[in-house]
Amino acid sequence: MSTILSVEKLTKIFPGKPPMTAVDGISFGLKKGEILGLLGANGAGKTTTIHMLLGTLTYTSGTILYFGKDFKKNRSEVLQNVAFASTYVNLPLKLTIKQNLDVFGRLYGLSGAEIKKRSFPLLERFGIADKQDMTVTQLSAGQMTRLILVKAFLVRPLIALLDEPTASLDPDMAKEICSFLLEQREKEGLSMLFTSHKMDEVAELCDRILFLQEGKIVANDVPENLVKTISHSRLELVIVEGMEKVIAMAQEKKLSYKNDHRLIELEMEESLIAPFLIELARSGISYTTIRINQPTLEDYFLQMVKK
Amino acid sequence: MINTKRSWGVFLRYFYLFAKFDQIADLLYWPAIDIILWGLTTVWMQTHQPGSNIALIVLTGLIFWQIVWRGNYEISVNLLQEFWNRNLVNLFATPLRLREWIAGVLMLSVYKVFIAMVFGVVFVYLLYALNVFTLGWGFLPFVALLMVSGWVIGFIAASMVIYYGQRFQMLAYMSAYMFAPFSAVFYPVSALPAWAQHIAWCLPTTYVFEGMRSILRGNPFPWSNAGISLGLNLVYLALSIAIFYWAFEKSRGKGLARFE
Repeated sequence: MSTILSVEKLTKIFPGKPPMTAVDGISFGLKKGEILGLLGANGAGKTTTIHMLLGTLTYTSGTILYFGKDFKKNRSEVLQNVAFASTYVNLPLKLTIKQNLDVFGRLYGLSGAEIKKRSFPLLERFGIADKQDMTVTQLSAGQMTRLILVKAFLVRPLIALLDEPTASLDPDMAKEICSFLLEQREKEGLSMLFTSHKMDEVAELCDRILFLQEGKIVANDVPENLVKTISHSRLELVIVEGMEKVIAMAQEKKLSYKNDHRLIELEMEESLIAPFLIELARSGISYTTIRINQPTLEDYFLQMVKK
Repeated sequence: MINTKRSWGVFLRYFYLFAKFDQIADLLYWPAIDIILWGLTTVWMQTHQPGSNIALIVLTGLIFWQIVWRGNYEISVNLLQEFWNRNLVNLFATPLRLREWIAGVLMLSVYKVFIAMVFGVVFVYLLYALNVFTLGWGFLPFVALLMVSGWVIGFIAASMVIYYGQRFQMLAYMSAYMFAPFSAVFYPVSALPAWAQHIAWCLPTTYVFEGMRSILRGNPFPWSNAGISLGLNLVYLALSIAIFYWAFEKSRGKGLARFE
């Protein structure tokens, strides 16, 4: 697969006293048809990176090449093939859905007829075709998010930069959006840079994940490999009697735990679970429910954020 | 180069808003109130000074001043629309270039100035039977010059807004009025104190209003006034656009998303 977005040593320093380095020399590439997840805690530099990739924020140093062309010199030309959707920006509130799509389609050089032809199937797919004459103020947050996605895909982009695109959607619509994105990748070879705080979604969609911390890329791998770096599983027990003893055992073994009433959740290496349960039985501690949770991307995220 | 499709998109973005009742009212209501208030006042004053054309001078001044104000308003307030709608990032995350945005709002400005002018002229004629076309064809170059002066003020106000954000939004409404006293809209420059006259002669608007009164006194079209006004307008327009570009780039350096 060819690299269609290449970022080299991208840096953003906001002037001030002292200056603030928001993104610190990051380098990565995005291949055709690839879905790349951008993860990190709030303030890690995800949104700053996306805005530099859109040109709504200039960068201090480094290079961005879209389709082999320097973004700084060819901003308008390359953005013709790049779409953006974010839950955190609005569309003109007093304009109807139809008018909004008409305006944004034209900003990408589409004619009125092309806009009409392309928008209807998308509006139908996202369940807002019957609301075309409603103004944005009349839409719910979920409908607004769907409109933002219609706007983004109206232009049939080669790259989509999606900043938490499903944040305000209910689970079934979020799922529908995810399957739409996968479909776009399959049919159109669409590449995506995707940020989300929904780790199950990221795990499902992304081929590769960049983890940002304090403006630097601290991990760049496929989701499965990132999860493998977590050696601990989570053991959940509902204790009938002897919670104090269980807590004492956890403290003695220096295990991380949290308990709420009769439920206790302990983190330990998978190989230690069986001996621990035997020890509980020998100590006469009885429990009704047992659940062993394998590490997930969410665990990886939490572990990295804690660091 | 300017991509006309994109500029047309910008035009439509604000034109669709204009079709709303509040925007139409905004375009016509205030000029109508001004014309009624000042028209009645000057017509009454004229009854005490028979033979003077004070009503025509004041009402023509009023209509002409609306052009300056409207030229400024269409640039600065339409930029503010993007702040109010949290749409600035969406707009400039598209292939749209700043010059295409400028071309779009200038097109809209010409359109709205035309509507405001026609409304003002017809309204004055219907209420007071005064014909602003007394100015003849000189009317048209003056309108164009005043519109460009309005754009200059608009770009300066828009520069402040894009650089500092909404805390400077009052400039969008106020900035044109800061120039009104020095532009000698309703009175001759000689009525101003000496220090203010120096400022007045630096403004392209002053030459137009002086020229307008000269025509209403029966003199031929003042080409020199129009020429000086054109020269000043071209210099100030180039400067104001350069300042707007500079402020926009500085703002991109801080990130347009900070306004959302």
